[in-house]
Amino acid sequence: MNELTGSMLVVLAALAIYFLFRPGRGWLERWRRWLRLSDRVLSEDALKHLYHCEYEQREATIQSLSGALGTPVERVAGLVQRIEAGELVTSEGASLRLTPKGREYALRIIRAHRLWERYLSEETGLKEPDWHKRAEQKEHRLSSSEADALAARMGNPPFDPHGDPIPTQRGQLPPRRGQPLTSLAVGERARIAHLEDEPEAVYAQLVAEGLHPLMAVQLTHVSAERICFWAEGEEHVLAPIVAANVSVVPLPREQPVEESLETLAALEPGEEATVVGLSPNCRGLERRRLMDLGLLPGTVVAAEMKSPVGDPTAFRIRGALIALRGEQAANIRINSRRQVA
Amino acid sequence: MNPANTREEVLEAAANLRWEVGPDLHDSLMEALYTDAARISDRVLSRDDARPAFDLDRTIDRLVTSRWLGFPIMMLLMAVVLWVTITGANVPSSLLSSLFLETLHPALKQAAASAGLAWWLDGLLIDGMFLAMAWVVSVMLPPMAIFFPLFTLLEDFGYLPRVAFNLDRWFKKAGAHGKQALTMAMGYGCNAAGVVATRVIDSPRERLIATLTNNFSLCNGRWPTQILIATIFIGSLAPPVLAGLVSAGAVMAVVLLGVGCTFLVSWGLSRTLLRGEASAFSLELPPYRPPRILQTIYTSLIDRTLIVLWRAVVFSVPAGAAIWLVSNIHVGGTSLAEHLIQGMDPFGLLIGLNGVILLAYIIAIPANEIVIPTVLMLTVVSAGLSGVGEGAGVMFEFDSASATLGVLEAGGWTLLTGINLMLFSLLHNPCSTTLYTIWKETGSVKWTAASALLPIAMGIVVCFCVAQAFRWLGG
Repeated sequence: MNELTGSMLVVLAALAIYFLFRPGRGWLERWRRWLRLSDRVLSEDALKHLYHCEYEQREATIQSLSGALGTPVERVAGLVQRIEAGELVTSEGASLRLTPKGREYALRIIRAHRLWERYLSEETGLKEPDWHKRAEQKEHRLSSSEADALAARMGNPPFDPHGDPIPTQRGQLPPRRGQPLTSLAVGERARIAHLEDEPEAVYAQLVAEGLHPLMAVQLTHVSAERICFWAEGEEHVLAPIVAANVSVVPLPREQPVEESLETLAALEPGEEATVVGLSPNCRGLERRRLMDLGLLPGTVVAAEMKSPVGDPTAFRIRGALIALRGEQAANIRINSRRQVA
Repeated sequence: MNPANTREEVLEAAANLRWEVGPDLHDSLMEALYTDAARISDRVLSRDDARPAFDLDRTIDRLVTSRWLGFPIMMLLMAVVLWVTITGANVPSSLLSSLFLETLHPALKQAAASAGLAWWLDGLLIDGMFLAMAWVVSVMLPPMAIFFPLFTLLEDFGYLPRVAFNLDRWFKKAGAHGKQALTMAMGYGCNAAGVVATRVIDSPRERLIATLTNNFSLCNGRWPTQILIATIFIGSLAPPVLAGLVSAGAVMAVVLLGVGCTFLVSWGLSRTLLRGEASAFSLELPPYRPPRILQTIYTSLIDRTLIVLWRAVVFSVPAGAAIWLVSNIHVGGTSLAEHLIQGMDPFGLLIGLNGVILLAYIIAIPANEIVIPTVLMLTVVSAGLSGVGEGAGVMFEFDSASATLGVLEAGGWTLLTGINLMLFSLLHNPCSTTLYTIWKETGSVKWTAASALLPIAMGIVVCFCVAQAFRWLGG
């Protein structure tokens, strides 16, 4: 009797877990999707889409809205009627325009979204792929005053971690800057201004390449199939459709070329080098910790020994022996690598 | 010009300038501050940069982190520390227990009897509270008073950070910090002290991981349980020549299972519950220095041993009262303990344990040291054995393994009960002293609850699976 009840309990528990969590069609997932698609969330997402179209000077229609929201056209049509009645949107023929009231609303949501992404990138251990997804949920729940408190706590940051400007409290944004990476000519140098975080698959590819805003790039090859460029000592190859999601600001030709193709990860025991700076990829607590340790431009660092299993490596930094992991050392740019005298 | 107008204009200009300073303004400012500080310190500090011909630190470092000698040296030192602790603790432990249990306890009983104390007051105070406290002190104090100073000496010498350096790569794979090796080692002495030791990990996420998984290091209070049960249930399966080796092997297997659980749970936590916590690795390898022996012994006794001991005593006194009360309060003719044991028996048997063990783990939550004495006492009470033990509510232990086995078999124990008790002793909630310490260290009810519920859920699942497999194999 005991064994029978025991095994039946196990089977029942397994079934319940399966129905609750199965990917795509699990009850939990359905319930969450239903919550996400609640009308307020949907109309706020619609306003955001209209604002992005306006900012990038594209035309917004019911069709583009349906595509961006992943919702059937019929439902979007009903939605647009409701937000038109709320005087947030006006339509001229097929194209949709935001009213001033609608623009203010959209900017408030975008401010919450970008502030939250900034918060996640600076003060939590979450990685790039999580930021956007979580901010998409949080933007609908963060009130104006909460957003202001958050901004004040972080020192009113002007940009989010993707390089996008965060609207100010009064809803101001600078004019759009940057041009797609695809528009540069071979040999031209530029700085990455922005990585578009939608669609997710393309963004994941950019993150996997190790690209991030503020990185300096130099184009080496452009063709219809691929775009090749140098960034932080590595050559990257992207498909044009992926590269189009990277915006860059061209650098003046006369600006001295940064000679920092190497990182501390390349340093072998018995060698030393001078620190050039920390990669922008290293943020928040981690960045402050490395600076506290004295890893600043001009500091001389010598590699002393490796752990018996190869990682971490101990470095002599300003007289102290500090162990750093490989991926941390890869965020510290160095030059003039040499043997210790 | 209108001043209000000017102010508006200035604010407007400032707002527009915000965008032009670029995304890295804060960084460049911070970098400039740090660089200035570094420049000032370089100007006023003179450093002797010339390397001496023979650098002792470098020589030791080469040795203890070398590919071939690094790990053998580490294991040798750990083995020496454990051996000194175990052999060194025997003498003072038996001295203390004969003082408390064989001299002081009867003397107190006699004094109470001659003072005419009511039987229940005498039982509650002396058999319950005093005995629990005496037990905890005599089992816990000697090993801790030896283990902690030894450990602190190694720390003071500068060796322990090198252990973290050697092992960090494996801990990194589990999302943890190399210094967790040290808090784990400390946990083999006492989990509460291990949790306090997580302060050396300065990255918030890794510190929480080390705190929540410290319980998987078998503590001082659980070693005797493991050794006893392994000897009487598993060692006896082997021929007498091999019995010692087999039971030691069984205990080692439980220890290794604990290490495996530490890595598995660390890995799981860093990817689920703790994914969002901030994390930054850093590990300083300080210069070696001759350990300050007297100071070390003093601070490790005060900071580690006495604080933990005090907490354990504070918690064991009410537990002693509870243990005595459940066995002596009668409801409808039978004691509360028997009611509870009968109530929990079906579930206990389902997971290959029994009601006595479950009740013992609930009322002996303050210290793992008193679990076996409580189990023995409850077994005698519930099996109705006469002529064994010290009476209802009075914990006891036998000097011989066969007498223990006799009582346990009378209580219906089988090989499965023995194996599952060893597993459950590893995988159950930390003692209340450790839980209180976790709460003090993390300041969070949520993490304290997680550190209690996670291992107990694992323990129940593991014991259930082992029981099913055992029965299915026809055990």
